[in-house]
Amino acid sequence: MAIPHLVWFALWTVPALVAAILNWFAVIITTRTPRPFHRFLSAYVRYTTQVAAFLWLAANPFPGFVGDNRYPVAVEIVEPRAQRRLVTLFKLVLVLPALLLAAILGGGLTFGGGWGDLAAVAAFLGWFAALVRGGMPSGLRDLAVWSLGYGAQLSAYLFSLTDRYPTSDPNQHVHDPPPGRSVRLELDDDGRRSRLTVFFRLLLAIPHLVWLYLWGAVVSVAVLIGWVAALVLGRLPEPLHRFSAAYVSYAEQVYAYLFLIANPFPGFVGGSYPVQLEIDPPASQNRLLTLFRIVLALPALLIAAVLGYLLFVIGFLGWFAALATGRMPTGMRNAGAAAIRYTAQTYAYTLLLTSQYPHSSPALLARPEPEPEPTRFPPFTPPTPEPEAAA
Amino acid sequence: MLAGAWAAVAYFLWQSRVPGGLDLPEVDLTGRIDPDVIARSKRYERFFRFEFVVSELVLIAVLLAYARWGIRFARESAAGRIGTGMLLGMIGLALVWISQVPFRLAEVWWDRRYDQTDAGYIETLFANWIELGAEFLFICFALVIVMALAGRFPRRWWLGAAPVFVGLATLFAFVFPYLSATEPLHQPNLEAAARDYAKQQGIEPVRIAVEDVTDFTSAPNAYAVGFGPSKRIVFWNTLLDGPFGDGEVKVVLAHELAHHSRDHIPESIGWYALFALPGAWLIALATRRRGGMASPAAVPLSLLVIVLLDLVSLPIYNAVSRHLEQEADWVALETTRDPDSAAGLFRNFTIESLNDPSPPTWSYLLFDSHPSVEKRIAMAEAWRRRGR
Repeated sequence: MAIPHLVWFALWTVPALVAAILNWFAVIITTRTPRPFHRFLSAYVRYTTQVAAFLWLAANPFPGFVGDNRYPVAVEIVEPRAQRRLVTLFKLVLVLPALLLAAILGGGLTFGGGWGDLAAVAAFLGWFAALVRGGMPSGLRDLAVWSLGYGAQLSAYLFSLTDRYPTSDPNQHVHDPPPGRSVRLELDDDGRRSRLTVFFRLLLAIPHLVWLYLWGAVVSVAVLIGWVAALVLGRLPEPLHRFSAAYVSYAEQVYAYLFLIANPFPGFVGGSYPVQLEIDPPASQNRLLTLFRIVLALPALLIAAVLGYLLFVIGFLGWFAALATGRMPTGMRNAGAAAIRYTAQTYAYTLLLTSQYPHSSPALLARPEPEPEPTRFPPFTPPTPEPEAAA
Repeated sequence: MLAGAWAAVAYFLWQSRVPGGLDLPEVDLTGRIDPDVIARSKRYERFFRFEFVVSELVLIAVLLAYARWGIRFARESAAGRIGTGMLLGMIGLALVWISQVPFRLAEVWWDRRYDQTDAGYIETLFANWIELGAEFLFICFALVIVMALAGRFPRRWWLGAAPVFVGLATLFAFVFPYLSATEPLHQPNLEAAARDYAKQQGIEPVRIAVEDVTDFTSAPNAYAVGFGPSKRIVFWNTLLDGPFGDGEVKVVLAHELAHHSRDHIPESIGWYALFALPGAWLIALATRRRGGMASPAAVPLSLLVIVLLDLVSLPIYNAVSRHLEQEADWVALETTRDPDSAAGLFRNFTIESLNDPSPPTWSYLLFDSHPSVEKRIAMAEAWRRRGR
């Protein structure tokens, strides 16, 4: 169904690239995008985003061919404004980190990483889910929207429609908060990074990686025992739950430290940290789902693997940024935190800590818990006096 | 009593096969080595002496500053007492590494100038990262032991820590041969000589391996490692492929075998044990005002103390090392009975590695872990005269 759009996309891309080059010169000379170029290129960015949304199952309706904004995945592009000449001049160099990030996170039809990027993986899994359920799971949809949003910003930046750098912050692209989960992430980080520890971050993490490996070896045995116990008892025994939960929490702290999502050197047994996991106590689990847990976890593990690559790229790019500025860019920090949260939920699901499937929405702000139903008391009735004993 | 036991063990370890009162004859170096080569080797080594002094001064300055202000980095830690101590230990090493980068690059520059290496500058920096990672891991391990012991025994931790570190050194000496990347030797005549020499020196045959070092140096070398079943002799390929004659390589072989037959590796561990105990006590003493080694605040200061102790003990360490090397030279002469090859080998060391054959006395006492080429040739001559 998307074939006509792909043909039209290919045809439109050629004049769009020519217009982008001309616009680049125009912005360098006048600091502003001429209105005809702005209209033409904005329509192109909107159109490619809508086609990608249709193709990656983030939206259902067949998109129009002119790139108007009457579509469930909306792209708003600001009116032409003055742009910095120097930024525009070096745009092709400045955009390189964003292109690298787009190769994993996704850059829409124009700059995405093809079948390896996050939107494509979400679409691949969503295709099966949508066939079965008749609807795209909200987590996968939000994941695709995050990717498409980043791609749209990247295109707008590269086509000189704006000089604002694309942000990978999921909160800027996905506005629906994710539902509450039994594995939650608390982020309490001010973005400040110590340049010295950033420079040596990989080496400083070595003791933690060694410890993580040793702890992981014990956890893998504990999980096997826990799996048998959960099949028999219908829930993971409390000591095993505590042990594995501490491991998952510690592992995420180590990743947060290694990939610069947090600044302090973590403790070796978990404990308080700016990227803190909260894991609910053990609850009863369906035995059949427990039996096939490893198979059921495969889609989540696939997404977690792509998010793992994303985390690596964030750590790599963030290393340079943090060395230069002493801060981790908020967008990358939040994207990394989202990746860590999803990985933690996947670990927790695979290690039988919870029966809740990981929710792939990248938004960090949790949906508020529904108000508890007011407790209803029976109508007040005055106590009846006990009858006096008969004389 | 403790001092007496210490002295008794030191006396026992100092025993040597080199005849007491051996008189080393005067050697005319210019008759054996081209004076231009001698002058060149002196220029080459003079740089390293100067570089060593400056780099040590910089190192001490950096660690002084770190001992004073390093505790500020505790803010970068969410770990507990020991974890924070580990972080401070690693940051200290990182600062040491940064402070030594210019000197490392200067060494490469100088070595390249004298055709002693083909290693590039970037390559040198990156090669050291792996080494640095291993050091980070080691210091964390050491701090876990020390801080855990100090947490339990705040004033007497050093009594427990010193034996633990001696045990670790022993373990490392045993395991090291299994960790290094080497190839087996494929030279039947050398293997046959190794069996023959081992028999002469009264030990079982020792495995011989070859290490390819072409990527970072062209200097020739060989060394003896391990003890018990892990005993090895490792030849650098630069020695086997170099201009050394068959007799000269056999002298090297006999020398390295002598390290094993005279138990120099266990003896070295013994010397380490002798100095580990007072060393640990001095660290405990120096860090007391910072709350002792149980407190992360003491870690930056302890690094400074370790470096200072290292520096102070360097002449002693080198004296012990020269003593062991001298004994290995003597045993090699007795094994091969070939003083000409021995003298030729030491002469070639000057030509190939640019070893200053007669360094200034102060430099010799401070820096040299081997007898000078002049003394080694003199020993070969002394052996010849005694044999007459």
